[in-house]
Amino acid sequence: MKIRNFSIIAHIDHGKSTLADRLLQATKAVSQREARAQMLDSMDLERERGITIKASAVTVRHTWKGEEYELNFIDTPGHVDFTYEVSRALKACEGAVLVVDSTQGVQAQTVANAYLAVAGDLTIIPVVNKIDLPAAAPERVAMEIEQVFGFAAEDCILVSAKTGQGINELLDAICEKLPEPKAPTTTKLRGLVFDAKYDEYRGVVMYVRIFDGQLRQGDKIRMMGTGRTFSVTELLRYTPFPQKVKELSLSQVGSVCAGMKTLGDVRVGDTITLDIDPAETALEGYEEPKQMVFCDFYPSSADEQGKKSDFEALREAIEKLHLNDASFTFETQHSEALGFGFRCGFLGLLHMDIVQERLEREGGVSIVQTAPTVSYIIDLNDGTELEIHNPADLPDLSRVKAIREPIVRIEIICPNENIGDLMKLCEARRGIFQSQEMISETRQILKYEIPLAEIIYDFYDKLKSVTRGYGTMDYQIICYREDRLVKVQILVNAEPVEALSLICHRDNAEQRSRAILTKLKDQIDRHQFEIPLQAAIGGKIIARESIKAMRKNVTAKCYGGDVSRKRKLLEKQKEGKKRMKQIGSVTIPQEAFMAILDQGD
Amino acid sequence: MEPVPLPQAGGAPAARPLSDWLPRLAAARPRGAYAHVPFCFHKCHYCDFYSFVDTKDRQGAFVDRLLEEARAASVLAREPLETLFVGGGTPTLLADHELERMLRGLRAMLPWADGAEWTVEANPETVTEGKAAVLASCGVTRVSMGAQSFQPALLRQLERHHDPASVARAVGLLRAAGIARLNIDLIFAIPTSTMAEWQDDLAQALALAPDHLSCYGLVYEPGTPLRARLEAGGVERLDEELEAGMYEHTAATLAAAGFHHYEISNWAKPGEECRHNLLYWEDGEWIALGPSASGHAAGLRWKNVAVLQEWLEHGPWSPVRSVEALDEDGRIGEAFLMGLRLLDGMREERVRALLDHGARATQRRAAIDAALARGDMEWSSGRLRFSERGVLTSDSVLRELL
Ligand SMILES: Nc1nc2c(ncn2[C@@H]2O[C@H](COP(=O)(O)OP(=O)(O)O)[C@@H](O)[C@H]2O)c(=O)[nH]1
Ligand code: SF4
Ligand SMILES: [Mg+2]
Repeated sequence: MKIRNFSIIAHIDHGKSTLADRLLQATKAVSQREARAQMLDSMDLERERGITIKASAVTVRHTWKGEEYELNFIDTPGHVDFTYEVSRALKACEGAVLVVDSTQGVQAQTVANAYLAVAGDLTIIPVVNKIDLPAAAPERVAMEIEQVFGFAAEDCILVSAKTGQGINELLDAICEKLPEPKAPTTTKLRGLVFDAKYDEYRGVVMYVRIFDGQLRQGDKIRMMGTGRTFSVTELLRYTPFPQKVKELSLSQVGSVCAGMKTLGDVRVGDTITLDIDPAETALEGYEEPKQMVFCDFYPSSADEQGKKSDFEALREAIEKLHLNDASFTFETQHSEALGFGFRCGFLGLLHMDIVQERLEREGGVSIVQTAPTVSYIIDLNDGTELEIHNPADLPDLSRVKAIREPIVRIEIICPNENIGDLMKLCEARRGIFQSQEMISETRQILKYEIPLAEIIYDFYDKLKSVTRGYGTMDYQIICYREDRLVKVQILVNAEPVEALSLICHRDNAEQRSRAILTKLKDQIDRHQFEIPLQAAIGGKIIARESIKAMRKNVTAKCYGGDVSRKRKLLEKQKEGKKRMKQIGSVTIPQEAFMAILDQGD
Repeated sequence: MEPVPLPQAGGAPAARPLSDWLPRLAAARPRGAYAHVPFCFHKCHYCDFYSFVDTKDRQGAFVDRLLEEARAASVLAREPLETLFVGGGTPTLLADHELERMLRGLRAMLPWADGAEWTVEANPETVTEGKAAVLASCGVTRVSMGAQSFQPALLRQLERHHDPASVARAVGLLRAAGIARLNIDLIFAIPTSTMAEWQDDLAQALALAPDHLSCYGLVYEPGTPLRARLEAGGVERLDEELEAGMYEHTAATLAAAGFHHYEISNWAKPGEECRHNLLYWEDGEWIALGPSASGHAAGLRWKNVAVLQEWLEHGPWSPVRSVEALDEDGRIGEAFLMGLRLLDGMREERVRALLDHGARATQRRAAIDAALARGDMEWSSGRLRFSERGVLTSDSVLRELL
């Protein structure tokens, strides 16, 4: 049987998941009754956020010109934090269906994903989706696709993933235009692990594309990268429901269980071969994703006695989640102010939010989170360098020659009229202009180099508000670069709070500090005493504020002897304080630890 | 806290008659009784007491049922009771003959100590010569008058309908009938109110020569129309500084007028403290009568169902949905919570005894030490109490003592 392996790539919300569902239905893989919305997204959280977090591979059949084809397709995530997962999925394919919303046109992740596909030598089928909508402008969007990517506008397939219009034509095109899998270069087994998940019942489930040879249930496999061996206990294909199979043969895609206990046992990108008859060289893998954003998680309980057990509960939750998502890192951390917790690294801000939410939801722990920072490379006077993930770890300045920070290349697509404002925004964030190109009469693509630290928090929101929702962005890390960076310390009630310290550009330090102190002043409740707030660089105070002493909080009435009620009221207030942290004699709410994100612009 | 498990029905726990707890209540030593009359003329917008606009058709049934409950509860009163407090709602909204039947019935059903303190809450508009006569002839020794404010505009803010002049008239009638002891309830920090208005309220209240004053800072209780208005931005909370100033002004003015500030919100001429309220604050026991009334005895705190019809239909013991048997920490916490509301505070031996027990003793000691260090608490003639400035922020300390 002929095989076609492909991914669907798109800017978020352009209809990738809906199109995948429609393809499943059109190929009769799924009955109407079973067609839940967005078949390929599995976790609740994904459904809620409308983001596909983990790739899944599904196998269906389609008949074209009297011949039956096996189509394997792989759903990919649609957010900038997860581009590495897109590139992983693409490695397992020969082709990609590039979906563009006919009411939105080409967007930043359309471009980023298409570049990934081109770089991976994939054949691309451009598809214009949502043509059922009144606002659809398929011709104009097809012209944009031609302008940006060079595909002839008339080659775009017009579809509605909602009504099913054009779906058969798309399936035909997949069979016709996508290349056959390349001929094997060896008879020995080589399978690319392009994804891995943790399943409570099965343990680790690896998603594998077979490039050479074949894999059978019971085979003893060797992971070429780690050298470790395992026995295959189960092979599954998804149609879309998991089905056990006896073997995965040449060019097929499916999942492999081999008694691996943790995701640490498998390296995504590794090559599977047979232990008794191993291949000589591994398939080309991919780079591990690098954690670029860091923050601390602490148990939120302020109860002294509870501290130890809350920390253990947090550790358990983190370890458990890590089985499912090996792309975040964690190590224990101790802070004077916040006690024991974990320093965690994430691929991006969204990734961080998702991890925190899953820890709270699935792990049942409640967390105080410190403001995220990027990693910095510190060049020391003795010629060595040091990577830090926490401003608190910055060595004594007398030893520091230079501080380097990660720089990204950012691509923004926006309407013409917003160009000026966006340039202003980028420049205010220390961006360096690269280029500006038309993609159509009304829209442009703007490229800047900009420090990651300047965009990790509210940049995206600012972009959205400046462009009234029409602007989109994508970024890639390009290098670390030196700048005039300083560490600002925040003192609450004269005590330095490391969890609130930050590294920022010297020229912005005063403005940032004032913004932070104002935020803190808002968020820290009045206490029974006045609380001075200060910002300092190397002991020199650069900004100050103060929180006046509380004057009155006594709830005056205690009526009819309803003592329980009064007690419950106070208990509830106390409960509210639980999510807060005690620093000396000052109680600081969780949000305050995010205050340092305020850019002051 | 160890709430007594109640069978679950649907979501809300099923109500059970208080008599189910009689084995435990055998150890009860109540010294007072609270009776709740749930009828009002109009529902004030800040009010979250269990009360509703009276349709007059259930007054008779209410009094019958209350007396039935009193008769049943009399088994708990092994010693004569020293205080009765009839609250609401608006007890004086009962028709004269129903009010009389209720008071005489309570006198008859329960054992009373000589010189027992009998307080009835009154709404100024409802006090007539007849009502005053009923109260006096039934042995009521004290009336608590809900004046709240003498400023028509501020009464309107609260959606409270009475003519400020009716307060003086009501006080006159009560005095003429021979009721000697009088409390006036006032509320400060009403939205838009000024210091001058509050000073005037205090002056007008003092002009009526009460022996007791309760001055409450307005609370925006969840579920009330006033709270909804606050959340919708229709009213603004008074500035904290001004509210604190009003409280301090109250303390100064009333001290000068010869009142003893004996509880956070209560002032009395020497010897005129409300004995019934002292029972609450000194961790005493009392029985509860009427819908939504709370009781405390034999280590249990309970609250009668707050649904008139349900209470009417199930007797003689009230159905209860909430009964708590506090564990040691719970009891210690409450003892502090109540005892420290008294400005004289708590006796040193009692404080030490309480701090010697309970799983949270360390935290309690730390909270007290911190408050002492800040000057928010002090030791004074062998008692631990909030200092003058500490009173204002006492909730922050009290919740740490729970
Ligand atoms: N009208 C219409 N809506 C569509 C179509 N395709 C997708 N959608 C809607 O667009 C939104 C985003 O689709 P989804 O498949 O989740 O996008 P993804 O983020 O790329 O996976 C959802 O509300 C879909 O119902 C289409 O062809 N027509
Ligand atoms: S009179 Fe008293 S009980 Fe009745 S509604 Fe007004 S505040 Fe509430
Ligand atoms: Mg999706």
